[in-house]
Amino acid sequence: MAASMRVPFDVYRFDPATDAAPRYQRYELDLAPHTPILTALLRIRSELDPTLTLRYSCRSAICGSCAMVVNSKSRLACETPVGPEFERHGRIVVDPMRNQPVLRDLVVETAPFWRQYRKIEPHLKPDPHHPLPVGRESPMTPEQVDRFRETPRCIACAACYSACPAVEADAGFPGPMALAKLYRFVVDPRDGATAQRLATIQPNGLWLCLRCHLCSEACPKDVDPSERIRDLKEMAIGIAGASEAGSRHAEGFKDNIRATGLLNEMRLVRQTSGLLGLAAQAPQGLRLAGKKPEVLRAPKKIEGHDEVEKLYELLDDQPPREGA
Amino acid sequence: MVRHEVVVVGAGLAGQRAALAAVEAGRDVALVSKLHPLRSHSGAAQGGINAAIGAEDSVDTHIYDTVKGSDYLGDQDAIEYFCREAGPTVVEMEHFGTIFNRAPDGTLARRPFGGAGFPRTIYAADRTGLALLQALYERLGTERLTVYEEWDLTSIVVREGRTQGIVAFDRKTGEFAGLTAPSVVIATGPAGRVYGRTTNAHSCTGDGIAAAYRAGAFLKDMEFVQFHPTALLESGILITEGARGEGGLLKNGTGERFMARYAPHVLELASRDVVSRAIVTEVLEGRGFPGGYVHLELMHLGRERIESRLQEICDFSRTYAGVDPVTEPIPVFPAQHYMMGGVGTDIHGATNVPGLFAAGEAACVSIHGANRLGGNSLLETLVFGKAAGAAAAAHAAGAAGVSITPADIDAERSRLAAMTARVEGEDPQQIRTAIQATMDELVGIYRRPEELTEALRRLATLRERYGRVRITDRSRVYNLHLTDALETGHLLDLAEVIVAGALARTESRGAHTRRDYPKRDDAQWMKHTLAQATPTGPALSYAPVAFTRWEPKERVY
Repeated sequence: MAASMRVPFDVYRFDPATDAAPRYQRYELDLAPHTPILTALLRIRSELDPTLTLRYSCRSAICGSCAMVVNSKSRLACETPVGPEFERHGRIVVDPMRNQPVLRDLVVETAPFWRQYRKIEPHLKPDPHHPLPVGRESPMTPEQVDRFRETPRCIACAACYSACPAVEADAGFPGPMALAKLYRFVVDPRDGATAQRLATIQPNGLWLCLRCHLCSEACPKDVDPSERIRDLKEMAIGIAGASEAGSRHAEGFKDNIRATGLLNEMRLVRQTSGLLGLAAQAPQGLRLAGKKPEVLRAPKKIEGHDEVEKLYELLDDQPPREGA
Repeated sequence: MVRHEVVVVGAGLAGQRAALAAVEAGRDVALVSKLHPLRSHSGAAQGGINAAIGAEDSVDTHIYDTVKGSDYLGDQDAIEYFCREAGPTVVEMEHFGTIFNRAPDGTLARRPFGGAGFPRTIYAADRTGLALLQALYERLGTERLTVYEEWDLTSIVVREGRTQGIVAFDRKTGEFAGLTAPSVVIATGPAGRVYGRTTNAHSCTGDGIAAAYRAGAFLKDMEFVQFHPTALLESGILITEGARGEGGLLKNGTGERFMARYAPHVLELASRDVVSRAIVTEVLEGRGFPGGYVHLELMHLGRERIESRLQEICDFSRTYAGVDPVTEPIPVFPAQHYMMGGVGTDIHGATNVPGLFAAGEAACVSIHGANRLGGNSLLETLVFGKAAGAAAAAHAAGAAGVSITPADIDAERSRLAAMTARVEGEDPQQIRTAIQATMDELVGIYRRPEELTEALRRLATLRERYGRVRITDRSRVYNLHLTDALETGHLLDLAEVIVAGALARTESRGAHTRRDYPKRDDAQWMKHTLAQATPTGPALSYAPVAFTRWEPKERVY
């Protein structure tokens, strides 16, 4: 048993009924380094301050209740030991999850998160023309099970939602969890609504993802939402056609580079947003052109463009990625 | 007053399945839970769900294994119904979207589990409960019903001999409310937190069981408490039986595979009571590791198999015990895991109180008798959740004239307000800790009459202290101290019932092991314990066990 150490906690406190503004409260405990943060917070409740408010239940990283921000990172309190946090930061700062309004202390209003989850219609929709077999299981090979990747491990803790800058910028963005859940249904061989699912998620959906990977870093279950969103984008282009600005932007980008090795910004905007879109963006484009006149010129083929073409040919020969 | 036809309390697998059945019967349904439904403890079930669907297996073998596993205390008519429903239940859950592991031919994969004659346990890696909970929640989400999330149950109201509804409060606002309904289904799970060393979630405080008990329902067989053989040493976190099903070995401090001396035929795959007693005996007789534990070894299974089929427990072991199961043995010792007992019901989930139903771990039908087999509890939640939901819907269809009155709500509000008004008094958390210490120390795997008597004495003292309980948190918003006080009251009632039943039962059967009565005594004790609340504590009576085809035999593995 490792020796215990005196660990300072600075915990976010706020009760909207009585407090004008949030504050941090300092608590100190003697703890062994491997003690989970949740255990420490529960000790604060029972030994120092029963008014400290948080959500928790299973204490074994399976119920998803205790996601919070520990030293600036969204994570489960029950599976984060105090030792490494204390060593790195000298104290443990505990905040409520981000991107969700605080109800009290570490408890946030999760309704917006669940609304996004419900929006992707998270339930199996079998194809009416190919109903599931009667009285027995639907056949599914182990390889088909593998296509779910790690998405069945999702415990809906919302750590990814808390970490996501796209959610912060646009509350209409479904967020990593909802999109990982969408992926789970899209790859399900029993589901008959793949095309419809991909088509309806496109407006305000997939293409707002910044691919910053913060969701995958935050996920305590290795669901890797960032990569699943990438897979969805790939599938969306294939299935729903280049019907949405995000997917047209991706296609346009690809064509541009293939044509000359450089971006033709005029052409790309036209490809993404159409002629009207181009007109709408004209004022901004002209301001930009004042500083960088070259954006108005169509680029010439770069030197060694044949190498670029070879790269494209190599990619064209690649089989589609698994999951896509 | 808000009115529904069926109120289901608890939103784990049993509660959600009951709600689905009642909605499908056309009733106006409310689902009330102190947690978001996906946070329910059903999601923590790891190993799997039993159904005799293999060509070499049969429903009769499943029935026999369950009867034998129960140490002949399970009701055989109920067990027969239960095992016959298993196949259709698993297929239904698959059709709802559950992602189970598959065999190479595309059928459902099965793994061996303790006490079972054949590999019968269908699974989703080592997170079967989570897989089922997700699929059922997704299915239920397509239906119309009212969900009261993060509401705490304070009481069930029974008047004129029938159920009138419940009183509960909304954690987010602190508001008390009455939900009137002619049918109430209790599906609030177990009260594992009467013990300190438990695999159960913090939320497993038996709220519905205690409320039903106070409302006049019989609690059945509460002295039968299952200790899971393999929980992590310090935290009590569960390491699934699936780990032994996949080939995990138990070894004592001398490196001996000691199960050979306790269950020579099936070794590590004996039923849970047998394996738990074996581990405790090894440690008591000095053959454990220093600190009192044994090893669970998986290393010989190889990284690939361990990481693909036992993914979560790899994470658990690494995070909570600092041990990598791929390269090192896992230190384990038994911990409280499951309550065979609960609110007494018939095969339709009906209790002795008209309009009050129960299902899942909160209920006792009884399927598990004196000891539950792994893989049978997930099945129970679904089979009897559905049955109770359907029966509650049928009852509600013919019922009228029930109501929760403002006085019912005021009574609960003032009961709790009195705890907040005290200027000095006891912290409910300290009382809870003392209950847990009492149960851990005196009401464990091996039981002695003098220790049980001492436990009753300590619980009486704690009840006195509970009379002075004080809530120091003044906020109306998400007041957890209020929840602490409520839950501690529930635990106190249920701990008393467990100990009273254990002291009275002078035999050893299944999970109940008396040092002074080491043998099963069918002549005296082939009967269910029933406990009813009285002002002076639980009053015990007994009910016969239902037999169909299987005569009691000695239980050898």
